[in-house]
Amino acid sequence: MNATYLLTEIRRNFRAPRFLIFVVAFPVLMFLLQTNVFTKASDPNHTQIAAVIMINMMTFGVFAAATNSGARLALERAVGWQRQLRLTPLTGTGYLAGKGISGMLVGLPALVLVPLLGVLAEGVHVDASGWVRIFAGIWLGTIPLVLLGLLLGQFGTPDSMQPINMLVTLGMGFLGGLWIPIETMPGWMHDVAQIMPTYWVLQVARPAVTSDMVVSLPQAAGVLGAWTVVLGALVIRRYRKDSARV
Amino acid sequence: MRETDTQAVVAGAAIHLTGLRKHYGDVHAVDGVDLTIAPGEVVALLGPNGAGKSTTVDMILGLTSPDAGEVRVFGRKPIDAVRAGLIGAMLQGGALMDDLTVGETVGMVAALHRRPMPVAEALRAAGVEELAGRRANKLSGGQKQRVRFAVALVSNPDLLILDEPTAAMDVGTRREFWQSMYSFTESGRTVLFATHYLEEAEEFADRVVLMRRGRIVADGSVAEVRALAGGRTLRAAVPGATEAVIAALPGVKEFELRGDRVAISSADSDATLWALKATVPGVHDVEISAVGLEGAFLSLTADETAEPVR
Repeated sequence: MNATYLLTEIRRNFRAPRFLIFVVAFPVLMFLLQTNVFTKASDPNHTQIAAVIMINMMTFGVFAAATNSGARLALERAVGWQRQLRLTPLTGTGYLAGKGISGMLVGLPALVLVPLLGVLAEGVHVDASGWVRIFAGIWLGTIPLVLLGLLLGQFGTPDSMQPINMLVTLGMGFLGGLWIPIETMPGWMHDVAQIMPTYWVLQVARPAVTSDMVVSLPQAAGVLGAWTVVLGALVIRRYRKDSARV
Repeated sequence: MRETDTQAVVAGAAIHLTGLRKHYGDVHAVDGVDLTIAPGEVVALLGPNGAGKSTTVDMILGLTSPDAGEVRVFGRKPIDAVRAGLIGAMLQGGALMDDLTVGETVGMVAALHRRPMPVAEALRAAGVEELAGRRANKLSGGQKQRVRFAVALVSNPDLLILDEPTAAMDVGTRREFWQSMYSFTESGRTVLFATHYLEEAEEFADRVVLMRRGRIVADGSVAEVRALAGGRTLRAAVPGATEAVIAALPGVKEFELRGDRVAISSADSDATLWALKATVPGVHDVEISAVGLEGAFLSLTADETAEPVR
């Protein structure tokens, strides 16, 4: 892995206004909005509900960062930048790894800002081991989501990426329980939720703040691991096919 | 035809293509190309659209794999030559990333290579030093091309491949571009460029390779390729001459007689002229000119030409 390449990738993400709005500002604002709409400060369960929403919005933030980052692939394929990079010693693996790692790193602003506001503005309280579980769980849980972003970027065109990403981020976020608690959903949606990687990312972090609707860590980690293997294989397969043709 | 096709040169060749073929569906984009380019040669690859130039270039670079045949760049497979930083390339239509400055783009490519030249040096060589802090979307078409030239140069390659390098440039920029190319080739490096501008090939190339329908139809120095197209054009005033008289002259390939003036395309202009002097004593205002590369290009790549010239 080449450090200059990785730093350049991260820098490029931060230069896009869409990134700053959709990936940094949006999760933060939605967190503040939801904690004031769904609960009142006087509510005895306020901090716990705020903590659940906090986890939802942290997950949404890293997910949006992942798909946003992956969208660059579509542009780089379309304009021939990927071909230009193939004329350097950077391998296909190095190229994809750089995209993947930068996709994870650019999720960090949301991963830090949302809980910061949770603690400072909403009085969320979690013990140290709980924070470790929340941060590490959500961040590592992003891996399959980053791979999903890369896969979408390998299929989309620059024009179609924005609607595709919007649909996927909001759709899979909604079905995964990031916006509405799954227990309030009808039975069939509850079943669909069980397929969504977003649901399982939540399941890794939720036990730190609630005992409602939680599953065991090994189960959640296992499902996310399976998603990682499947999506990773698809990304590599698609890249090979793509680079053999162009 | 060329002396460079000797074993010794093949072993140390910058580019060596043997029996190269590539088809897309029913279209034979490249249909049996053999080509050897020695280190230090500056070669122009000419041909009409669809002649197979870009496909050939893609196979030399390892971006496309041939259906048959072999590519060697400095004796290595294309991918190994690329990894070793031996090849720099300006691809057709390859864009720059709008969210990076010129300096960052060239710097990043430099960082990916093992023995790059200093970024400032590449920017200077391509004449884009003063644009280093500018984002790609704030550049004109010609400036973008020069930045892409800097990207191709920064790996300090031994072989430079340019696919239509001056396509978006105006005349002045094009001249500057070729000036920077000159200083690059002076250091003994090999250049292969595909172009539509025949005057560029005429002026800058040591050697011209003409492609048509996936095959090489002519290969040689500019003078040799011109000669292949049929020598010279002879123009003169020929009072009283008839078409039959002109057609009977030696060396005549084609002619056009209008009133007293004739334009003869001749394979041997000397013989034609002496015979003309003898049969039409009143001949005057004689003018003999070489067929331009353009004439050669047109006659060698015309669709009627069924068989390769060489």
